[in-house]
Amino acid sequence: MAIELAPKNKQGLSLHSPLIAGSGAVGFGDAWPPGLRPELFGALVTAPLTLHPVRGKAPPRLAEVPGGFLLATGDHNPGYRRVLRDNAPDWKRLGVPVIVALAGSAPADWPRLAEHLEEAGVAAGLELAVPGNATRAEVSAWVSAVRRASTLPQLARVQVAEAEMLASACVEAGADALVIGMPPLAMARAAGEVTGAGDVAWVEAPLHGPGAFPFTLRALRAVEALGLGVPLVASGGIQRAEDARRCLEIGAVAVQVRSLLWTDPAAIVALARALAS
Amino acid sequence: MLQITAELIDRQLQGPGQELRLRAPELAQQLSPGQAVLLRGGWGPEPHLRRTFHPVAIDGESWTIRVPPSGDRAHAWLRTAPLGAEIDCLGPVGRGFSLPSGPRNLLCIGQGEPAWALLPLILLADARRAAVTFAMQSHSYRDLIPLHRLPATVEYRVATLDGGRGDLGRLLPGLAEALRWADAVAAAGPADFYEELAGAIENSRYALNRGFAQALHPTTFLCGVGACQACVADIAGGRRRVCLRGPVFDLVDLVAGR
Repeated sequence: MAIELAPKNKQGLSLHSPLIAGSGAVGFGDAWPPGLRPELFGALVTAPLTLHPVRGKAPPRLAEVPGGFLLATGDHNPGYRRVLRDNAPDWKRLGVPVIVALAGSAPADWPRLAEHLEEAGVAAGLELAVPGNATRAEVSAWVSAVRRASTLPQLARVQVAEAEMLASACVEAGADALVIGMPPLAMARAAGEVTGAGDVAWVEAPLHGPGAFPFTLRALRAVEALGLGVPLVASGGIQRAEDARRCLEIGAVAVQVRSLLWTDPAAIVALARALAS
Repeated sequence: MLQITAELIDRQLQGPGQELRLRAPELAQQLSPGQAVLLRGGWGPEPHLRRTFHPVAIDGESWTIRVPPSGDRAHAWLRTAPLGAEIDCLGPVGRGFSLPSGPRNLLCIGQGEPAWALLPLILLADARRAAVTFAMQSHSYRDLIPLHRLPATVEYRVATLDGGRGDLGRLLPGLAEALRWADAVAAAGPADFYEELAGAIENSRYALNRGFAQALHPTTFLCGVGACQACVADIAGGRRRVCLRGPVFDLVDLVAGR
């Protein structure tokens, strides 16, 4: 049964499975954990991309917390030119739609990026990582600018804490679907890391892992209740088939997984099988 | 890289820590010295992440890890796991040490707990008839790799900060002759050890040339395949994913730009 992520978009974005490899879960389609194959997923979302290369956050980037971990990459990526040259040629061979994530650190660059990606003809859609603390007016401006620049299906990914406030602005500006959402920010000590001065290093980043799931669930339910008339994708903390089914029952048409690919690839195979049945 | 279940088949007390032998032939056959294995035991949902280990012994069917006497809950679980316990493993991760071809003079230099990761390389080099000198520095004699763990043909030099064995104080100042003798160096220690090592090589040999010294970069891994970008380090003028480019690097790259 096909799942349509962009029913009102001429190009459409059809998935054979409700399971999506979330942003960066497999890098730019080139970093596959053992035992995982593209056909397990209905689509994959690339790591966040920017116009120009970004070195990202200096190490340490990882901190373990109860219920998961914090990971601060700072949108580290080689820039769109290198990705188009080195990674995009393989995307068709993957056999699943590849959705390119546009980094939340540079929304002003989204329209140009969208144009380049549409011109290259390699992306099945775009996922816009809406930055935190944006106003409705800003979000509306960014999303409509991308809409004017590209006809590609657009998924707007919003922070769970702001989902209710921003969801309608995204849809009114032209987003074809909503991804609920980006995990909440937290802060913790990078385990074992000490700077030269003897201070401990801190990591401030979104929460990943099972601890994020209750936040996702609440935001998903709240956005679903708004009745915006676009497909919803649940993202954040999904670890088990039961989690995915709960999201689908609430009204999501698909679910994204990311950290689970890294911590337990075998669980993804089990999850994909459970959703297929 | 594989995800595989290994069986805990042996436990030995070794100084303040423990050594656990894990059996999974499919993974053991792919392991080389310096590579990492990411383990997850049955400790429940917390802690969430796997733990990174560099095997201290490798044979065709099994490998051995050292679990330090830390307060970490995952380490504590491993220290008390019964024989027969199943442990989920991801690995091998990254690039290990490479041995120069043909019998050569290999100097292995280790500081602290990371030095144990050199043990499989020492055994391999000795088996290939290389002349091996192993120099280790630790806080006290209890933390040193015991002499009986090394082949009889390996020359072993030690330095302890408490003076309990060998030279008192730091190791590198006494290694000038060994550094001139060596055709290749393999090192494992904390990150700040490597600048000191680079300096010692430059003083002994006038220059640190690419291809002479390899070093193991201490890293905590998350995915092990280059997707998460958690393991990046500033190496060779760039921000590199250690799981793909390392964890064993040319020492020139590790100290570049510092």
